[in-house]
Amino acid sequence: MNTYDPLLALLVFLGICLLGFLFFRPNNGWFWLINKGSQSTDKIIVEDILKRLYHNENAGKYLNINDIVRTLKQNDKMVIDSIDNMATLGLVRISGDIVKLTKSGSDYALRIIRAHRLWERYLADKTGFNKTEWHQRAERKEHELSMDETNLLAHKLGNPQFDPHGDPIPTITGKMAELKGVPVSELKTHTIGRIIHIKDKPDIIYKQIMAENIHIGSIIRVVEKSPERIVFHSEGEAFKLAPIMAGNITVSILEKNISYEEDILRLNILKENEKAKIIGISKEIRGESRRRLLDLGFVKGASVSIDLLNPLGEPKAYLIKGTSIALRNDQASKILIKK
Amino acid sequence: MKQKNIDNIIALSNDLRWQIGDEFHDNLAEGIYADAAEIVKVSVHKPNGDNRLRLDAKIDKIITSKTWGFPLMFLILAVVLWLTIVGANYPSSMLAELLLNTIHPALKGYASALGLPWWLDGFLIDGVYMAVAWVIAVMLPPMAIFFPLFTLLEDFGYLPRVAFNLDHLFKLSGAHGKQALTMSMGFGCNAAGVVATRIIDSPRERLIAIITNNFSLCNGRWPTQILIATIFIGATVPASFAGIASLGAVIGVAILGICFMFLTSWALSKTVLKGEVSTFNLELPPYRPPRFWKTIYTSIIDRTLIVLWRAIVFAAPAGAVIWLISNIHIGDLSIAAWMIDSFDGFGFLFGLNGVILVAYIVAIPANEIVIPTILMLTVLVTGISGGAGAGVMFELDSANATGEILRAGGWTLLTAVNLMLFSLLHNPCSTTIYTIYKETKSVRWTVVASILPVIMGFVVTFLVAQVWRLFA
Repeated sequence: MNTYDPLLALLVFLGICLLGFLFFRPNNGWFWLINKGSQSTDKIIVEDILKRLYHNENAGKYLNINDIVRTLKQNDKMVIDSIDNMATLGLVRISGDIVKLTKSGSDYALRIIRAHRLWERYLADKTGFNKTEWHQRAERKEHELSMDETNLLAHKLGNPQFDPHGDPIPTITGKMAELKGVPVSELKTHTIGRIIHIKDKPDIIYKQIMAENIHIGSIIRVVEKSPERIVFHSEGEAFKLAPIMAGNITVSILEKNISYEEDILRLNILKENEKAKIIGISKEIRGESRRRLLDLGFVKGASVSIDLLNPLGEPKAYLIKGTSIALRNDQASKILIKK
Repeated sequence: MKQKNIDNIIALSNDLRWQIGDEFHDNLAEGIYADAAEIVKVSVHKPNGDNRLRLDAKIDKIITSKTWGFPLMFLILAVVLWLTIVGANYPSSMLAELLLNTIHPALKGYASALGLPWWLDGFLIDGVYMAVAWVIAVMLPPMAIFFPLFTLLEDFGYLPRVAFNLDHLFKLSGAHGKQALTMSMGFGCNAAGVVATRIIDSPRERLIAIITNNFSLCNGRWPTQILIATIFIGATVPASFAGIASLGAVIGVAILGICFMFLTSWALSKTVLKGEVSTFNLELPPYRPPRFWKTIYTSIIDRTLIVLWRAIVFAAPAGAVIWLISNIHIGDLSIAAWMIDSFDGFGFLFGLNGVILVAYIVAIPANEIVIPTILMLTVLVTGISGGAGAGVMFELDSANATGEILRAGGWTLLTAVNLMLFSLLHNPCSTTIYTIYKETKSVRWTVVASILPVIMGFVVTFLVAQVWRLFA
């Protein structure tokens, strides 16, 4: 105890804290880096290249080796080695500078995409991870799932057709539901459509769209379009988006004879002493929460009104089927009503 | 051939199911619900359309109003806690008089009349009986007051409104409004608080509530806080303010516990628990007059006696251990003395001492016996006169006399402050740990819930000790 000095003890403690932080801080902690380093990166690079090629070829674009090296955040030499490797395995054909997928290459790519989208679906339906995390987590998981595990996952989820962003999930045989849609940025004014897809990349734009509270399945009507911004109405609110954001949202255009109902609102904008009928629950409420809401009586046709306001603003209590149920605003915003 | 047909049919059904699409399931379920609602509308007749009573709506308006909601809530909580802590003193001292001062000597008398060897009589009567008697005397009265009061409020329909009012605060830390109730229940007993988390139906928020329940000072710890604050904190101010200062210190510790609860909830929901499913909804049932006797009966049977029984089961071996370590000698010192000696340096780092750490280790089964154990061990190692002999826990009637023993054991204001902090931030008692395991069915969460508070306790006491020594 002779060497004891409170200041020294404090400094030692701070040192230990700092070390712990360096080891375990999210993303760049040494512990995670070491963990990552021990995984085989070869497989990941190959699969990432396949995915990239597949998406580009689907859009009618062909990539050369340079493009691939540039877009992958990996060691350049490793990427080039991998491409050579893939050519010998018959996954790709290199003609001149252009890299093209072979049949087996594109099958492989589809399998990875299937694993990715199924995992996103799993995260959405069965876990509580925030939706901004789904894509990143699936990016890692797609390389870990084997074929059998993927099939088992698909079976457990009831062979879903779409991932939570609205992208079609390929079946075992490589079949995919068709997605016919137009980006919001290309809609004319007064077009009416239903949002069917929100792109989850790039991350920054996806997070902005999520912050705007835009949901898949909502019906929208474009009211204003200019080079700077696009304004549309949906569920009782007006949304103003920059074209770059609007370009990441896809809608399927609805026929003219389906009348757009301006009076469909979100439950959270209901005011005290107003009565409304429930139209439905947005697809954004999934799994357990959805079942709970249905159990409590938030079903089509039920009438709802505000029972109690909260001293802190949230949650509000809604009177439904003679019972008072409190819901938070983010939930209420996903329940559609008609006054 | 047959197998092949079956496979074909399954493949076809899978394919068809896929073609129908995702919305089919939802539409079907929603259709069923909507149909059921239609049938109810036609066939169930209500006497009058509006089934919310006027009185109900009026009460709700006041209870959830901006002006009255929160003051009312704090007032009710304060009254319940005051009734529990002050009200329990009388039955507690009666029970202590009966179990510790009357029956204990009587048992000792019988034992010597029967000619039992000293070690058997010490082990059974001074060890096991003493711990069990102590736990009953300290634990039973506050629980028998707190739980019925709490259950009455619940039955009346007030508690769901508290959850409603406070939900936003809990939402900010990623928790559920109903955690306000399980937290308050924890002020009575953490084990009961953990059981009460059953009312939270969302898996993530329920785990948060279970893991953070220990940050509510339970009735096993209130007396410790009050005693130490009276002896040490009260002495730092003029005598006329002593009462207020010590009361303020105890309330401060309880509020600190609430802060730690929010902080830990937030950290848990952002890290280890972020993948758990989270749902929210809160039903506000209509008010009804509480069924008084039924409530009293069930709260005593279901909550009080079950918790008490578990505590006794765990306290008995603890009593045995306490007696054994103080009476088995290795070389010229008892095991307790050896342990205290080896923990002294470690304890010093945290502004505590070996006696406190040993007491917290052997008293894991019940916080109620921490102070008696500390007193006994202090007398044992300092060799001052007092107490009832090695391994026999005791408590003194006057706070002053207790303070003298503790000061003789080398206690300072820092020791007292850190003991109060460590009493707030340490592992839950074994009854609670066992209950957490029963409720979560998971070793992992049980370990997290048990270890996390101790680590926080060590960090906080360490920081306080170093800063204190730097500036004092």
